[in-house]
Amino acid sequence: MSGFAAVLRKDLRLELRSGESTLALLALSMLVLVVLVFALDAARVRSVDAAAGALWVAMVFAGMLGANRALLAERDNGAMRGLLLSPLDPATLYAAKFAVALIFMAVAEVGAVILMVLFFNLEFDASIARLAPILALGALGFSALATLLSAITGRTRGGDMLLPILAVPIFVPALIAGVKASAAALAGAQLASMGDWLKIMIAFDVLFVTAGYLLFEHVVGED
Amino acid sequence: MNSSAIRNWLGYSTLALMLAALFMVFDYVPPEAEQGIAQLIFYFHVPLAWVAFASFGLVAIAGIFYLWLGDQLWDDLGYAAAETGMVFCTLMIVAGSIWAKPIWGTWWTWDSRLTTTFILWLMYGGYLMLRASADDTPQVARFAAVLGIVAVLDVPIVIASVRLWRTIHPAVLVTKQGGHGLEDPRMVATLLVCLAAFTALWAWLLMLRFTQLRTRSRMSALAVRIAFATAAASDKQVMELG
Repeated sequence: MSGFAAVLRKDLRLELRSGESTLALLALSMLVLVVLVFALDAARVRSVDAAAGALWVAMVFAGMLGANRALLAERDNGAMRGLLLSPLDPATLYAAKFAVALIFMAVAEVGAVILMVLFFNLEFDASIARLAPILALGALGFSALATLLSAITGRTRGGDMLLPILAVPIFVPALIAGVKASAAALAGAQLASMGDWLKIMIAFDVLFVTAGYLLFEHVVGED
Repeated sequence: MNSSAIRNWLGYSTLALMLAALFMVFDYVPPEAEQGIAQLIFYFHVPLAWVAFASFGLVAIAGIFYLWLGDQLWDDLGYAAAETGMVFCTLMIVAGSIWAKPIWGTWWTWDSRLTTTFILWLMYGGYLMLRASADDTPQVARFAAVLGIVAVLDVPIVIASVRLWRTIHPAVLVTKQGGHGLEDPRMVATLLVCLAAFTALWAWLLMLRFTQLRTRSRMSALAVRIAFATAAASDKQVMELG
């Protein structure tokens, strides 16, 4: 547990002093929302479906950048090898990197939700509060998946180009469930009425947190 | 019987079964009354689907064994299965699309089975791109194994989510409501022969590719040994001269 806390503290301190990653994530989320406002012509009509869709597109992009960022610092100067040589279990390292990616993503999501309300002419009311658990479940699953996959793609020639190609198809079930549940929540539905969608997201989260935790050591190992 | 004899035997069986399957589809079996001749695609579509999904299952099984035992053989098997699976999955989507145009009036629709298949196709496309974007090292073999396992774990959730999303695909084989059952025994016989023919074709292609990848792995292992031996010999020469 102390190893987990040490890696997490190191990464968060790096981020607090530079602010690079969260700023980049926020900027990317904002630009995605702006592009979608133009693309969907949503500036005039009040559309919860378009807003929910735009929010999740922003989330997927921010999530990929966040997971990349969480591992990027370890690529230079063989820092990853140093971490692996330390008395730190690869699974614990995964948990720490996953937590960092999740925190980056959560910050970007709070920003994206505020911007979504402003850009799509919605109201700050109870429906926004009901979005919180849905987005939390989505962010949990996506950062678990993207952390595992970016450890893979970071070490190939395809590099960062390959991450969306691998991550997006696998994320599809949580994406469908998340968009549908978010649109329902924004339209005023109660959380109890979207139980099936939430169950799919919970299943996805449990599966990929477990898979990442168990498989990470095979991904970071040296030959 | 050695492996090349098995391969030849599989090749000839594939040829015989394929000829029988073509004869049965085009001459023997009566087309279904409502859909007419387009329904004959079904006899290719279903076997293609079966071998595509079998290959993707095999990718995951090979991945598990590779991570467990670390033998290059499992990596070669996974690679061969992913490639053949991708070919059959593409053919299945194309065949289904040709059938859908006259029957549903559209080449493509976001029905649950179609969507699931397309997402699978994207996943294994990603798998092959990952393999293509790195040299054949034990590292990439591990990456591919992890991805193959993760993709198969994802399949039940994809099916559940997409089914909740929408479905119009005709019910498979016998359903409770009747509907799209295979009433004529000749239809059942044709489907079974087609299944056997495509399974044989798949096994043959898989074995060809697997043998090829095995040879490549052995050759690269040999090249490493030669390089080491040459380096050791030249070291020795330098020592003697010195």
